Amino acid sequence: MAHQTGHTANGKGEIGIVGFSQSDYIKKTDRTLISLMADAGRGALRSSGLAKSDIDGLSVCSFGLPPDNAVTLAEQFGLSVGWAYFGTAGGAGPVAAVLNAVRAIEAGHASTVLCLAGDAYDVEGHYKMMDQFNVALRNYGAPNGFGGANGLFGIIQRKHMETYGTRRDQLGRISVGQRRSAQRNENALLRSDLTIEEYLSARVIADPITLYDCVLPCAGVEAVIVTALDRVNPEYGIRILAGYEQHNHPVGEIAPLSGGWEIFRERLFADAGKEHRDMDFVQAYDDYPIMVAIQLEDLGFCRKGEVGAFLEGHTFAFDGSFPLNTNGGQLSCGQAGAGGGMIGLVEAVRQLRGEAGGYQVENARCGLVSGYGMVGFGHGLSSSAVILEKI
Amino acid sequence: MNANAKNYPQPVEDTDNAPFLRGWRNGRLMLQRCTSCQKEIFYPRPMCPHCWSDELKWFEASGVGKIVSYSLIHRPNHPAFSDEVPIALAEIRLVEGVTMLARMLEGLPQTGMSVVLISDDNVVARYPLPVFRPLT
Repeated sequence: MAHQTGHTANGKGEIGIVGFSQSDYIKKTDRTLISLMADAGRGALRSSGLAKSDIDGLSVCSFGLPPDNAVTLAEQFGLSVGWAYFGTAGGAGPVAAVLNAVRAIEAGHASTVLCLAGDAYDVEGHYKMMDQFNVALRNYGAPNGFGGANGLFGIIQRKHMETYGTRRDQLGRISVGQRRSAQRNENALLRSDLTIEEYLSARVIADPITLYDCVLPCAGVEAVIVTALDRVNPEYGIRILAGYEQHNHPVGEIAPLSGGWEIFRERLFADAGKEHRDMDFVQAYDDYPIMVAIQLEDLGFCRKGEVGAFLEGHTFAFDGSFPLNTNGGQLSCGQAGAGGGMIGLVEAVRQLRGEAGGYQVENARCGLVSGYGMVGFGHGLSSSAVILEKI
Repeated sequence: MNANAKNYPQPVEDTDNAPFLRGWRNGRLMLQRCTSCQKEIFYPRPMCPHCWSDELKWFEASGVGKIVSYSLIHRPNHPAFSDEVPIALAEIRLVEGVTMLARMLEGLPQTGMSVVLISDDNVVARYPLPVFRPLT
């Protein structure tokens, strides 16, 4: 296994994603998490054309894997690795992990990295986890009946609505558009029709957040393989043009209306050599629609506070004017725990390789994936994003 | 069994937050202020998150604040809260400048509403963390 650095003469790494896979998404399972990770790992390897013996780096993002971690997973999988990474940024972790895998490959610590993200999750398990998610939430959130992330994001959504006039019928266009895409996706758990009227009249979870703003916890694992692109058939390779992560921005706010993306968005597009209009799709972390809205603002697709009008001016299915979470996203596929931070990345690769079948975005050449998560005291602490392009 | 007793999830008392939790058990809102940069701190920390000084002092806050935003939680995590739905969880900016999350009891919250710490003995005994009511 030669360690290759993959730098081109202009310094832009020719390292990318050459394999991808999504395990079955299951509402509740008695299968082990490690068996689901094995499924996703095998699937990603198959789609890369590489061999198991090529893999010399491993990253995993998962809430439920501990006390196991990337190193014990390497043992389970019979891998010896020069680079091992366990995600720390919740739903922003998987994108960050891939960016860090690129750096590891450039530095010669590994040549071929398998990146996994997922959980054997269910609704009850999720709620129990949120009550103990970290010291701050356990001590100062859970005893208040905070309702898990729902209550915290209810506060953020109300603040965005009251500050900027954003409306539920605007946010609902995200859930409705993504459901339309999910109807073409056999692995999505929620595929029944969803109209804006049903979205608006749905059961209240944490006012103003209602049922179709919330994801369904489930079991599943997503996987990609990162390596130098000149090692595989160009049809398999997707370029990683640029990417960044930021954690705990803005500092010291309980319910901010912005996140780390505003710190790095200019660098992200400049490094990639792309403009917003070059994006053929966006896969944004969609727990909840208000966070999709904030990502769209912070990544520069519209100005801060103006996302309501932006949402009204677009349709969001795979065949809409602004393809968003084109397999249905977490909102319609389910949230496989930390897998929710990689479902968009895998979907981006699927789209750019032209393998999305009934929900294929026509002529998809370039797209953006945005990650978010790691709920601390009041909001998700972590942001990440990456721009990908077909070779 | 005390009629006020409920199996709410409890905070875990430790050397960083004991004055805050003990203060609440006596009906008081105790906060930290950094003696180095003079900023107030919430939630309780071992060092100042603004300047990293470890010279923090506890003081009794007024208990008065304003609601910045809120959510009405109809589906709480934990079954102990099911009979109190909707739970009004508010982001409150205290007059001392720092913000916190807390429940508001006795009425429905509004953004901008003034609130005050409830100091009634029965309320203090029942709720594991400071709770507020509208300031009339």
